[in-house]
Amino acid sequence: PAVLLDSSSSLLFSLLLAQLQVFTSASPVPQRRPTDMDKLSNQTKNLMKLTQELLREHAFDSDVEPHRFRSLPEMSNRSANDLSNLELKPTLTQLHADLKLYEHHFEWLNRVSKKHHHPAVPKLVEMIKEMKSLITLLHRQMLRVEAPRLTPATPSLPPHLPYQFDVLQSSHELLQHFKLFCDWAYRAFISLKPKASAVQ
Amino acid sequence: MPGLLSSPVCLTVIWFLSWSLCSSRAQIRTDEVPDVQYKTLGSNVTLTCGKSQNRLPVVWHLNNSSVLPWHRVTPDGELILPQVDRSAQGDYSCYDTEGRLLHTVTLRLGHRPGLLSISCRVPNHTHVRCSWVEPAKMYLPVSYNATFKNGAEWRPCVVDAARRHCDVDELAFWQPMHTLIVTAFNDFGSSKTTIRIKLHELLKPDPPESVKVEELEDFPQRLLVSWSFPSSWPVEDAFPLMFHIRYRPQGSVYWSEIYTEESSFVILDALAGHLHQVQVRARDEVNSESRWSDWSQLLLVKPWEVYATADPTEESEYFFPFDTKPETSTEKSHNPIQGDEGNLGLVILLVLFSVVILTTILSLIFVMWMRQRRRDQATKQELTSMVKMKSMPI
Repeated sequence: PAVLLDSSSSLLFSLLLAQLQVFTSASPVPQRRPTDMDKLSNQTKNLMKLTQELLREHAFDSDVEPHRFRSLPEMSNRSANDLSNLELKPTLTQLHADLKLYEHHFEWLNRVSKKHHHPAVPKLVEMIKEMKSLITLLHRQMLRVEAPRLTPATPSLPPHLPYQFDVLQSSHELLQHFKLFCDWAYRAFISLKPKASAVQ
Repeated sequence: MPGLLSSPVCLTVIWFLSWSLCSSRAQIRTDEVPDVQYKTLGSNVTLTCGKSQNRLPVVWHLNNSSVLPWHRVTPDGELILPQVDRSAQGDYSCYDTEGRLLHTVTLRLGHRPGLLSISCRVPNHTHVRCSWVEPAKMYLPVSYNATFKNGAEWRPCVVDAARRHCDVDELAFWQPMHTLIVTAFNDFGSSKTTIRIKLHELLKPDPPESVKVEELEDFPQRLLVSWSFPSSWPVEDAFPLMFHIRYRPQGSVYWSEIYTEESSFVILDALAGHLHQVQVRARDEVNSESRWSDWSQLLLVKPWEVYATADPTEESEYFFPFDTKPETSTEKSHNPIQGDEGNLGLVILLVLFSVVILTTILSLIFVMWMRQRRRDQATKQELTSMVKMKSMPI
């Protein structure tokens, strides 16, 4: 009887474990594992959201069009029609170079904002962290598809911002440009998804 | 010579020559380039009787009539029309006291173009159309010239003067700011209007097209809504659209709403036997700062019903008691298929959970029963051994 008892307990235990297994694996919607391109597009969208929040909360919206930043990635040559004919490797390479350039600009903005004790600093720090994460993800994807890496360009940054107003205006300009860059980059990533799947 | 001059033939020749000279002079005056003067409505207008400085009294006519608007004629023969209105417009002629035409001038009245009120529509990422209205009626044809700063370069914005709009294609969309300059000019002068626009904020797709609402046979509470992308929007991976569907039974002020990226949706909670109003609109899925399209045309559809039992008159007389309340809405899940799957999953989960509970209870009962049995057996063994011990001789 003792043997029977032990075996019944272990049977019960196994049954419970099995039920637990069924219980945890039974999901109403089967989850598709996100691809690397999904991760890239999601992370870009996340950055875009952060940028919008920063613009809403901390930037100074003016009708004046300041031109403090001369070395931001050029967007005037990117049209909607181009998005349907993007090539995988050159686009990833270009996006990586663009992101590195933005990273430099935002690190500069962070330094300047800290100097002026700007309240946006914590969010800026978070944004730079997310940007670095996106760059790492993108770099990994580039290695996977053997996309070349460009030599990083040296950004030309404004020399000195004496007033809080200048910081606000620079912040607005940079965030506005970056938000639009993220919009384009997101579209580029989702357009490139089928091409990236074909390569892997 | 004097005799010659005084001869009747000579006098006749001289008279004829002088008459012809005189008439030719008058002819020259009337043949000269018509004098057209453009003046602003409401201003004081002064018309001169040609270049005559002879200070002769003159008579002015308007469109060959001696009736003129409120006016004054100066001793120099100038016609002064104070605060002119549209009735003062026309052909003015001045005559000498003998009725000879001295000069004709056409007066045109209107306004110089003012600053235009410009608004732009961006139906997709490649095209912008900017339309304008004039601050007041010009009364004269106005021409327009428009230029658009697309990225770093200035490009013409192609003008349709009759419809007062201009178009730019192949936009450099991903720029924070674009500039449009529209110059309006007519014979009174010109004006330049400059606006700065944010295309990404003005982006507003056209409403979804081919919107259909169909009943689903055997499902009296379901309606299948389907639609397609607006034809002006590219059907490409890079340009996903978010769709917003709203529906309500006719007469209700409460909309039910769902958001989806699909091109169809099944309403699962329609009110059986009632007409439903359904509308769909679209927005760029990526850019949350862009605008929603206008709603598609309101569609009225009734879910499937067994027609033998239906009473159409009752339907049309049904009214919801919420008419005075403000319009509100309730949001629903994104995807009908997901909703179905969600319900099925829930049922499966509940069944599994009850099986687990049942198994556990049965197992516990079994264990307890086994323990009890073991205990009984042990007691029995003890008793047996005690009986055995008692029966043993000491």
